[in-house]
Amino acid sequence: MKKKMIAVLLVAGMVASLTVGCGNTQEAANDTQKTDDSHAAETKSDDAVANLIAGTDGPVELTLWCAETEQYQTVMKQLVDEFEQQYPDVEFDITIGAESEANCKDDVLVDVENAADVFVFADDQLLDLVNAGALQSVDATFTYDPTTANSKEAVDAASVNGKMYAYPLTASNGYFLFYNSDYLTEEDVSSWDNLLAAAEKQGKTVGMEVSGAWYLYGFFSGADLEMYRNDDGSNTCNWNATDTKYTGADVATAVTEICKSKAMVDCVNEDAQAFALNGEMIADVNGTWATSGFKEAYGDGYAAAKLPTFTVDGEQVQMGSFAGYKFVGVNSYSKDTGWAMLLAEYITNEQSQKAIGVATGEGPSNINAAASEEIAAAPALAALSEQSQYADLQRVGNNYWDPAAALGESLVSGDYTDVQKLLDEAVEGITQPITAE
Amino acid sequence: MKKYWKDFFTAIKCGDIWTRFSLLVMGVGYWGHGQVVKGILMCLIELGFFFFTGKVSWQYITKLNTLGTVQREEVLDLTTLTKTVNDYDNSLLILLFGIIGILTIAAFVLLYISNLKAVYRLQMMKENGEHIPRFTEDCQELVNGKFHVTLLTLPGLGVLLVNIIPIIFMICIAFTNYDLNHQPPTYLFTWVGLNNFKQLFTTTTTVTFGYVFVRVLVWTLVWALLATFTTYFGGILLAKLINDRTVRCKKLWRTLFVITIAIPQFVTLLLVGKMFGDYGIVNGICSRIGLTQFLQNIGLVSHGLSYIPFLSKPGWAHVMIVMINIWVGVPFQMLSATGILMNIPNDQLESAKIDGANERQIFWKITMPYMLFVTGPSLITAIIGNINNFNVIYLLTSDYVTSNMNFANSNAREVDLLVTWLFTLTNDYSNYKMASVIGICVFIICAVLTLVGFTRMIAGNREEEFQ
Repeated sequence: MKKKMIAVLLVAGMVASLTVGCGNTQEAANDTQKTDDSHAAETKSDDAVANLIAGTDGPVELTLWCAETEQYQTVMKQLVDEFEQQYPDVEFDITIGAESEANCKDDVLVDVENAADVFVFADDQLLDLVNAGALQSVDATFTYDPTTANSKEAVDAASVNGKMYAYPLTASNGYFLFYNSDYLTEEDVSSWDNLLAAAEKQGKTVGMEVSGAWYLYGFFSGADLEMYRNDDGSNTCNWNATDTKYTGADVATAVTEICKSKAMVDCVNEDAQAFALNGEMIADVNGTWATSGFKEAYGDGYAAAKLPTFTVDGEQVQMGSFAGYKFVGVNSYSKDTGWAMLLAEYITNEQSQKAIGVATGEGPSNINAAASEEIAAAPALAALSEQSQYADLQRVGNNYWDPAAALGESLVSGDYTDVQKLLDEAVEGITQPITAE
Repeated sequence: MKKYWKDFFTAIKCGDIWTRFSLLVMGVGYWGHGQVVKGILMCLIELGFFFFTGKVSWQYITKLNTLGTVQREEVLDLTTLTKTVNDYDNSLLILLFGIIGILTIAAFVLLYISNLKAVYRLQMMKENGEHIPRFTEDCQELVNGKFHVTLLTLPGLGVLLVNIIPIIFMICIAFTNYDLNHQPPTYLFTWVGLNNFKQLFTTTTTVTFGYVFVRVLVWTLVWALLATFTTYFGGILLAKLINDRTVRCKKLWRTLFVITIAIPQFVTLLLVGKMFGDYGIVNGICSRIGLTQFLQNIGLVSHGLSYIPFLSKPGWAHVMIVMINIWVGVPFQMLSATGILMNIPNDQLESAKIDGANERQIFWKITMPYMLFVTGPSLITAIIGNINNFNVIYLLTSDYVTSNMNFANSNAREVDLLVTWLFTLTNDYSNYKMASVIGICVFIICAVLTLVGFTRMIAGNREEEFQ
């Protein structure tokens, strides 16, 4: 009897999964239709806004989530005020919530129906948000065209299968090298060997979160090894390759060699900033969020550069990295989709991006805003744009993080005997198939 | 059971027209036998039930077998910027309201049967010429003779709402494929039978739930026992020490330890966690006085590290967590032990002394049995509490990264308890199905421990044994 019940349950499950499959194809068909519509709609964008204003009665209630830092909150408040003034006939009630963009996804997906209408998030969350159906695709634009105003990389990063799902806001979520030019020359920071030698000689340290999966990627991608997400959410990874120019084992050994240096410290952002502040650490691989910390720590010596090269198999190889973006997304469950889209457009247009860049020190994704004097002069952003030619778009399936972190941890401590076996295991974990039922 | 149904059928067989008519309209029996208010109430309950089931829960109950088939689709009208959404199914709501709906029906059936019996009793009372209580009398009865009913109604409802419904709901999730790729409201999830349980006990190179589950379970149990008994004995010893005649400033000492309770646990834990971090104060001191070097030389710390991995490598972290927990937990135990130690009958202690027992014998033969007898039940609760001790593990090991690929593949770490693993699975990986399978395991472990423990400890004859 029990077996029968299970069989019935299983059959029910299978039938349901079949129908789910049908649902997907149908939606895909709808999608193509929508993209066709959008071209026609652009010409009528003024009408659409006019229609929207005419169709709006009563106050428009919107919630906007952005980072909890004071700079962000202040500049967003100012932008929202300006947005409200643009439409004097409409009454707005826009609330700004504090929500770190690093874990925006988690909070949105907990209860997508009650999450903010417009939210700022980091680009690595895009796929999960799209998969959960939480993002309103950018079917039409009304005040400017984000696809041409922003850098092509940013637009690609905001798109899935050629369809744009979010408005690019910043293009500075990657990592590069902060250093103190009082101790290190430009020559020193060009390669890990020089950098570590210089630091050892002066009794100082260099930091990087090597055991962090996000940073570890830089070594392997620099040596032309691949790791990227497949359409079904699993990963493709050849970090254990033995037939490439630089084998995975060579890279792994190189990483361990770097970590063996007395000057090398594997530490997270907070620790690195603390070490920099007490004068121990004279260089650190980090991102723009740490800019103010390192500025304070290094004073006049504050400088930034692209990531150094490292020695693989006797040759110098430029480190790669992840290029990171921040996006503004519109919740597809928003009750006022139209106004939410207009607000998202407003806070990502050229002036707004410039204002945010000036306020927070982050680099705009808007081409004109990024080129403007007050932005381009910042050392961190200059370093980032220098690094950007070696940076890859962050397209990573969930199964990457834990196995890669475990790999990093082993490489840092160097307590492995067979490097190939270690890599094979890691790759197997990273590429494990997504169980679909 | 037999009597239950027999009474019901007798009521139908021997009931008069009113009684039988109340098979259809529940209040009629009361009206017919002179209890008008109760009759109206019954009618209202019946109406309410049919309204709720028909209007709300039935549509969900019918979809329970598939958990919904219509996926959400939306169309944004670009000329007016308004959005139309189809009438989609939400698997989560279907499951939740389905369960509530079925429970309501079950409750109604019970009420329906007892209603008929009550009406039949009323009919008998009337035939025998007994006094039929009026509504006010019934109400008074609720605060007098049936006071226990009044008292237990609210807690009973509470248990149903906050315990039973969520537990059933959670158990159901374990049989579905509710995970990252099947998240309502946009996507549907459905029943998958026992697949998730199979997965929990599978170990292949990539699916490592089986490997990890056993290890996490063992550590959870070891931790629960260690954490409970170290703080327990530590607390008793500390209380004995402070109670000792030779100790001066007893109140000062007690106050100092109580202060550690007054500081919120998570503040202490976060702070201690930072102190013992890889680059924390303690490591700074250790490397300066050469302890790190010494430990490296005797092989306790690997040569690749420049610090002592207090909270970042297996083994070290396990020991440190237990040690830190002693610091956090002992003051609580000390406080309760102090109270109990003061209550040990003095005549027993004195007669033991007269008989020539030394301090140690008194401690093991009188103090400890007395303590164990009094605190037995709370020890069981403490073990259960420690199995689910989220705070200590989570706050102390937030920077812990595993280097064991098998753990990494299942999103677990060596120091995880079942409950923190469950948290990572839901919070970071939206893997609700596996989380609820693990939840069921935790539930079973805790339930078995409690049942066995309590029946052993509070069995009636034990009281005599002690005396």
